[in-house]
Amino acid sequence: MAATATTSSATGARSIGGERLKETLVGYGFIAGPMLVYGLLFFYPIAYSIYISRYDWGALGKISSRGSGNYRDLLHDHRFGLAVKNGLKFTIGFAVFSMALGLFVAVVVNNAVRARTFFRSAYYFPSIASSAAITAIALFVLSADGIFNKLTGLHHAWFGESGTALWAIVGLNSWTTSGTVMLFYLAYLQAIPTEVYEAAAIDGAGAWRTFWKVTFPLLKPGHFFVSTLLVIGGLKMFDQAFIASGGSGGPNNSTLVPVLYLYRVAFYDVRFGYAAAIGLALMLLMFTLTLIQRLTFGRAEAA
Amino acid sequence: MSRRRAFVAAALALTVVAAAVAGTSLGGAKKHHGASGTVVLSGWAANPDELKLLKQVIRGFQKTYPQIKVDYQPITGDYVATMLAKFSARQPPDVFYIDSNVFLDWVTQGLLDPLDSYAAASKFSSKPFFPSLLNGFKYKGKIYGYPKDWSPLAMEVNTALAAKAGVNPAKIKTWNDLTAAAKKLKPVMGGDAKPICLNPSWDRALAFVYQNGGSFLNPSKTKSTIDSPAAAAAMNYYVGLVKQGLADIPAKLSVGWCGEALGKQKAAIIFEGNWLFPFMASTFPDVQFVTERMIMNKQHGNLAFTVSYSMAKDSKNKPAAWQLIRYLVSKPGMKTWTSKGLALPSRSDVPPVAGRSAFLQDAPAAHPWQFAPRFSQVIDTANNDLSAVIEGKKSVSDMLKHIQDTANSTLGH
Repeated sequence: MAATATTSSATGARSIGGERLKETLVGYGFIAGPMLVYGLLFFYPIAYSIYISRYDWGALGKISSRGSGNYRDLLHDHRFGLAVKNGLKFTIGFAVFSMALGLFVAVVVNNAVRARTFFRSAYYFPSIASSAAITAIALFVLSADGIFNKLTGLHHAWFGESGTALWAIVGLNSWTTSGTVMLFYLAYLQAIPTEVYEAAAIDGAGAWRTFWKVTFPLLKPGHFFVSTLLVIGGLKMFDQAFIASGGSGGPNNSTLVPVLYLYRVAFYDVRFGYAAAIGLALMLLMFTLTLIQRLTFGRAEAA
Repeated sequence: MSRRRAFVAAALALTVVAAAVAGTSLGGAKKHHGASGTVVLSGWAANPDELKLLKQVIRGFQKTYPQIKVDYQPITGDYVATMLAKFSARQPPDVFYIDSNVFLDWVTQGLLDPLDSYAAASKFSSKPFFPSLLNGFKYKGKIYGYPKDWSPLAMEVNTALAAKAGVNPAKIKTWNDLTAAAKKLKPVMGGDAKPICLNPSWDRALAFVYQNGGSFLNPSKTKSTIDSPAAAAAMNYYVGLVKQGLADIPAKLSVGWCGEALGKQKAAIIFEGNWLFPFMASTFPDVQFVTERMIMNKQHGNLAFTVSYSMAKDSKNKPAAWQLIRYLVSKPGMKTWTSKGLALPSRSDVPPVAGRSAFLQDAPAAHPWQFAPRFSQVIDTANNDLSAVIEGKKSVSDMLKHIQDTANSTLGH
């Protein structure tokens, strides 16, 4: 390489150009494999969903063409409306609670406490356990004569009543996800330089004030990243609602979330075209919400 | 050169294998009049007792048809969803269970093969089957499945609690009798237990609607008839039992279903089918209960839950699949399958085990648990509305109107 650089500028430029081309090709060569897999498993299904969403599509394929009929039906579908409302309610609750819990634990664990490695692992543990198993156990714990009611002195069927069923799932998911949120926040916390804390200490700021005036604002990129992940994850919630309601989205439609509705429409009504339209509408909703988040946080970051 | 030679060799080898495979299947077909090879049989995963009986039936089949190999592949998890994925992939099992509730969804999608021509060719008579059960698997005049077993609902009463309250279960025949018995039982129920356990779902409530002379759909299944005074009175009675503190739903009784409520003595009276027997015998063998005929009001009314053995349109081995179905629902096959009382026979020439008269008495009043294609969303809506009514968040009349509108819009009105 050094030899090329010492020769005339014309050949040097050509060589560098050649090198660049080669580098580019090698680069594309490296990503070609993963992109092929990605295209096959991601872009192709999306394109296919768009295609089938324009038909009444049964178990063996096309039944009849519907044009934009499936999308028009969505606008008047009472259960879809309920599902989106529940999905948003769940997502907001889930995002707020798991961020609060995850951040709290991260800040605690980030400080020099004894056995902090143990606590980090302990808080992360629910994230690696199977959500189906955790939900099954929660059904017992939160049943009318479950241990939760015994400990609190209440008598309430948490999953059995429409006022609390969705919130029980919010609580459950926030707890299991908070471990992952903690890990993200820990990474962002460690990126904050110690000098700012020293400056705050010199200015006489207490722990509470330091957190709200220094730590919290400096975690802005973390808030954006974590909230984006949680909003997308929240709108995709399915397994807990499916298990807790036995698939019906009950009681009184309180756990009917978009993906559960999609699943029922696809596999029980055998309307794959309509289910595809629901899926695409959901994707559009996630995309819009992410864009809004990006604009809000992005602008704040620039300021 | 060597690469090309290897390719040629591989191609030749493949041709030889393909020819051999074709040869065996053709030869086999000739030898055994089309019925040989492997048949894949699928159903939802059975409990150990059921599995033992099913294996016994399959062994009986293998003895009669040694040239057909039965490959039993039970499906765990969501049966309906898994089967649809298999149908879509054009790789369904040859023979499988269908619940009468999803039958219309599957047959209208062209997933099933009619069995009439096979039955005619092998002189298989469908006469011994109870007509109302067989009708559950007919579509446009053709038979797409033979019922493997069935059950209506009955009333099961905890013997000890009834005796303690001075209630004679055999005397509970009408809604008024039920209310009176529940009032007597109330003081003897401990803690949060209630005299009656009721499901917040229509697969129980609809029996009460039939008892009052109401119905869900008109006979030709073209219109919903649920928003009627008869249905309203029935549902007011059903929900009223909860409102009066005489009954509660499983979630409030801290159980998964009413059978568990009977076992844990959280309720003294429940309305379940024959499936309760194996559950109680294995989980709560010490709890004594009696089975009485389902209660009535203006008339007897009940629901029939049944499951068929059917054949996939995409089955790769139809002659052998038919032989398996024929054997499974034959007199000897059904006799073995129902011998332990885990299921009730769907053939009139196979008597059920002793102690099942309560079910048989109500057979003429039992309506199949089946509606119309693409009705799962209607039933989901109906169940969710019923839970809202029980919680006091909706009135019975609003619920019935909403269900009728949803049903009619699904039926294309």
